[in-house]
Amino acid sequence: MKVLLVEDNQRVSQFIVKGLRESGHTVDHADNGRDGMLLATSERYDAIVMDRMLPGGIDGIAIIEALRKTGNRVPILILSALSDVDERIHGLRSGGDDYLTKPFAFGELLARLDVLGRRAEGGSTRTSLEVGDLRMDLLSRKVQRGSRAITLQPREFKLLEYLMRHAGQVVTRTMLLENVWDYHFDPQTNVVDVHISNLRQKISLESERPLLRTVRHAGYMLTADG
Amino acid sequence: MVAEPRRRPRMRSSAALLAWSYAALGILALVLFAAPLLYTWEDVIDEGRLELLHEDSQRFASVYQHGGAGSLVDFINARMNIQFAGERILLLTDARHRPLAGNLAAWPAQAPEDAENFVASVEFAGHPTRAVFLHTRLPDGYHMLVGRDVAKFAPLQNRFWYGLVTAVAALALIGLLGGVLIRRVLLRRVYSIRQTVSAIMQGNLSHRLPPGRDGDELGTLAQTINGMLDQIEQLVHGVSNVSNAIAHDLRTPLAELRSRLEELALTRPPTPQVFTEIEAAIADVDRVIRVFNALLRLAEIDTGLRRSGFVTLDPVEIAAEAVEFYRPAAELKGVELAFRSPGPLHASGDPLLLAQAINNLLDNALKYVDAHGRITVEVSGLEQHVEIVVADNGPGIPDAEKPKVVERFYRGDVSRGTPGVGLGLSLVDAVAKLHRGTLTFADNHPGLQARLSLEQGVAGNAGAGGQARLARPPAPEAQPDAKAAGS
Repeated sequence: MKVLLVEDNQRVSQFIVKGLRESGHTVDHADNGRDGMLLATSERYDAIVMDRMLPGGIDGIAIIEALRKTGNRVPILILSALSDVDERIHGLRSGGDDYLTKPFAFGELLARLDVLGRRAEGGSTRTSLEVGDLRMDLLSRKVQRGSRAITLQPREFKLLEYLMRHAGQVVTRTMLLENVWDYHFDPQTNVVDVHISNLRQKISLESERPLLRTVRHAGYMLTADG
Repeated sequence: MVAEPRRRPRMRSSAALLAWSYAALGILALVLFAAPLLYTWEDVIDEGRLELLHEDSQRFASVYQHGGAGSLVDFINARMNIQFAGERILLLTDARHRPLAGNLAAWPAQAPEDAENFVASVEFAGHPTRAVFLHTRLPDGYHMLVGRDVAKFAPLQNRFWYGLVTAVAALALIGLLGGVLIRRVLLRRVYSIRQTVSAIMQGNLSHRLPPGRDGDELGTLAQTINGMLDQIEQLVHGVSNVSNAIAHDLRTPLAELRSRLEELALTRPPTPQVFTEIEAAIADVDRVIRVFNALLRLAEIDTGLRRSGFVTLDPVEIAAEAVEFYRPAAELKGVELAFRSPGPLHASGDPLLLAQAINNLLDNALKYVDAHGRITVEVSGLEQHVEIVVADNGPGIPDAEKPKVVERFYRGDVSRGTPGVGLGLSLVDAVAKLHRGTLTFADNHPGLQARLSLEQGVAGNAGAGGQARLARPPAPEAQPDAKAAGS
């Protein structure tokens, strides 16, 4: 993916640029609002990581609003030290696609960026999802592993659907909380892990190949080739 | 000009100014009353005087008609002898103003030719006198002048003026004295308030204003200020408690982190061990970040601003979701998790915060309950309130500690050694307050019963966003602005 990073903090930028390059992405970096605006409007990117507060007279939100006004639909991940729910809503409403609060783990940033970049590629009007021999029918809400039918609770279905839609991508616990449960806060204990392990038991019996992998320091990944 | 800080500063007293203004107003009223009175009074006197002169003149004229000029001269001379000097001025002249009889030496020089009555200064009985004259033309060209001394009423007039001036002076004096007195009394009390407030500004928050007499304005003000000071003292006390707690709860992981890194720098262990240490260091940092996030969230709730984003929600649905969220974790621990509700309810609130509050209560219960314990979540709708009760059969909280558990960073004896930053129940309490409700604890015999009570509120801004403020908006233009519609 070709990614534009607009971030003024030297250390944070270095850390992100290095991490993204190591993950195989091409990265352009702007350290102020003017340069960021210039690059974002003149080049074509697969995703933009945008800091909210920037020097140079133009802040992140202004850049996003300008881009959206010209019909540019590039996926944008907002980075911000402002964690208030209202700030978050403001950021997303201005046209950002996701919001990540500083400080953050790099795994979280990478996972969210991956999901954003991939979402722009694939359409969402599918009626079924498939990962290996695991098959989900979105209309009849039935799940099958090979010929074995799997019964899932509604929330488990939603969890699996999210994982299958992002098969091959790392999804973090926070992403699961936000997208499956709509919880935009950090539960004090790792309840999500228990949900995942329950789901794992249901989709993969002892005899079957495991599909749901735990990615250290990041989250989980559903993949057929593991 | 350098003001001496130790002296009582001279200030413009608004109370004294008010008193003086009233005195000035009194004086003005007095003058306004006296001026027309004086005018009317002088008018009446003038008219009365003229009437007397007319009577005299008619009498003399009739003497002249009956007996002619000689008879009138005799009559006048006779009158001159019996009347008091100065009371009446008389003069009879021929056609060329030559005196024939009377007590005036000559025709007054200032006398106008045509006027019937006039005022003139004349030499009378050896004194210059101002008098009113009535001029009568008798047949055959004789002139008769009848006059009276104006100065006769002067003492009365003077007395009037003296009276007026005395009254004005008295009013002015009373006003001045009153102003000074009021100013002094008021200043004394204001000064005591100033002293107290100065002491408070220097950091001694326990000072209170003297209450003064009940019901008077300054007393009421003092009471209000004292109430405010109570509140401030409580808040400051709370802040210092929190600072101490922050110092403890942030310093501990920071100290661990620092020593970990320092040791790493000093000992330079083999690479695999370095990685383990770095991971532990990241965990330390994450702990600090969690405390910060919890504090920020609390601060966000405490400002009360979130109330503008209230929507109509179903607390039963939110609680049920929270219970389902925790069910796998409860099952893993072998804890029985039961949920009871009367069916859908309505309340006005912030769904995200309410979910977090119920999650925290559940988390707390699950943390302390033994394996194979029981947790019951019950939602019930009362008349004005919705109650969410999370009950467990864990160790519970001693009565003495119950009010303290919602304090920030408070960790009971039972909770030592368990994960958590000590802010979970503070958040629930803050959320309850935001929803004009309460968080109370009771015994569950055995265990703990946490009762979160929320005011149902008015479903005023229903539909102005609803769940949308939680979900990611698909496109900015398609999203109704919940914030604008809610406020």
